[in-house]
Amino acid sequence: MTNMNDPWPDDEVTRRLNDLPEVDPPSTMVQDVMATIARRGAARATHSVTPTKRGEIMAKKVLWIVAAAAALALVAMRVVGYPPVEKGTEATIGAAQRYQSPQISSADVKTGDAQLQAFLQSDVFRQLTTDKAARQALKNKDFQRALQDNAVRVALASSDVRYAIAAAKVSGDATLVQNDLLRVVEANAALRAAFDASPALRAALVSPDVVAAMSSASLGAVLAQPDIAMLVSQDAAINAVLSAPDAALDAAAAKD
Amino acid sequence: MDDTGDAALIARCLGGQQDAYEAIVTRYQRGLFNVAFRMLGNYEDARDATQNAFVKAYEHLDSFDPEQRFFSWLFRILKNECLNVLRARRPSQPVSLDMPSARGADPVEVRERQHAIQLALMSLSTEYREVVVLRHYTDLSYDEIAAALGIPTTKVKSRLYTARQQLGELLMDWRVAR
Repeated sequence: MTNMNDPWPDDEVTRRLNDLPEVDPPSTMVQDVMATIARRGAARATHSVTPTKRGEIMAKKVLWIVAAAAALALVAMRVVGYPPVEKGTEATIGAAQRYQSPQISSADVKTGDAQLQAFLQSDVFRQLTTDKAARQALKNKDFQRALQDNAVRVALASSDVRYAIAAAKVSGDATLVQNDLLRVVEANAALRAAFDASPALRAALVSPDVVAAMSSASLGAVLAQPDIAMLVSQDAAINAVLSAPDAALDAAAAKD
Repeated sequence: MDDTGDAALIARCLGGQQDAYEAIVTRYQRGLFNVAFRMLGNYEDARDATQNAFVKAYEHLDSFDPEQRFFSWLFRILKNECLNVLRARRPSQPVSLDMPSARGADPVEVRERQHAIQLALMSLSTEYREVVVLRHYTDLSYDEIAAALGIPTTKVKSRLYTARQQLGELLMDWRVAR
């Protein structure tokens, strides 16, 4: 069963690997698999829809009753004036009014005109405008937010990471995608840190458009350079990419 | 592994004909089981991992992308199963390596050699072992291996090169020790 295209067909390692014989699978493999599938199918069928629906209805009823009771209790407390507030205790109840500095948002990061102009005249910009997958990804608000996070930019600068993320989409199904992505995340420390720290990245990676765009050459060129990725996360750059005429896309498609 | 007719079988499965999946399992059980066996080195573990992979593949068959090769997709599911088994093994717990019965001149020597080779395979990290197993025990091309593992083709080649060097050293040690 050795691969015929192996570039080292005759060396010692290949010969030794060929010494390992093919092993017969258990004779009951097919029956066991089919029996398990049938059993699981039957188990699913026995959980009919009605009890689940009934359970949901019941849960909703309980929720409404609890909510109504809570609302009544609040109204009653307001009317009765319970609990009584003694004079002189008011100041001890309120939380201290500490100064809280706001989080830095994308609006706080101003992209220099010169930097933006240089970007708009670059090959990277031209490629982005003609790359449908990249444009779709850049439309994603979560992805835009994620790119503003330094840890995310550092993690996505690695082509291995992007490639692994892009490959995760092939299983298609949401559960499998999640499993695949989690394995990709687990396998890479930088991505794991970014994934844990950035809700925006977690949200972005649920989007098939974003996952698909990871293998896009133009987006890859952007992400490989964290400073360009930062620039592209800004509204001005995104608007410039997205407002490029569709003719550019059509021309690129025609060229292909 | 000839994948001619997979699309038709999968379409029948998705249409509710469960027996079509039996044909798929029959077709791929040997290849998949051997990959699992070389990845895990243990017959029982390989059986469980392969069975679980087939069952999960059936349950998610509607998400299979027909553009892909079916075996590559199956392997991705199997790999997750193998990783689960490897994670569940305690590091201190020695793995019992199962060897199929030897045929040929000196059964004891053959078994001893096979044991050493499987042991050398098991000494590789999972990343290296999987490229060696896929390259030597399946007929996947470099590109297909890359797609199945979710890494670039260049990475497959470099991993394979390093893995084979490590294997060479391990097997050399074994030969000297004898």
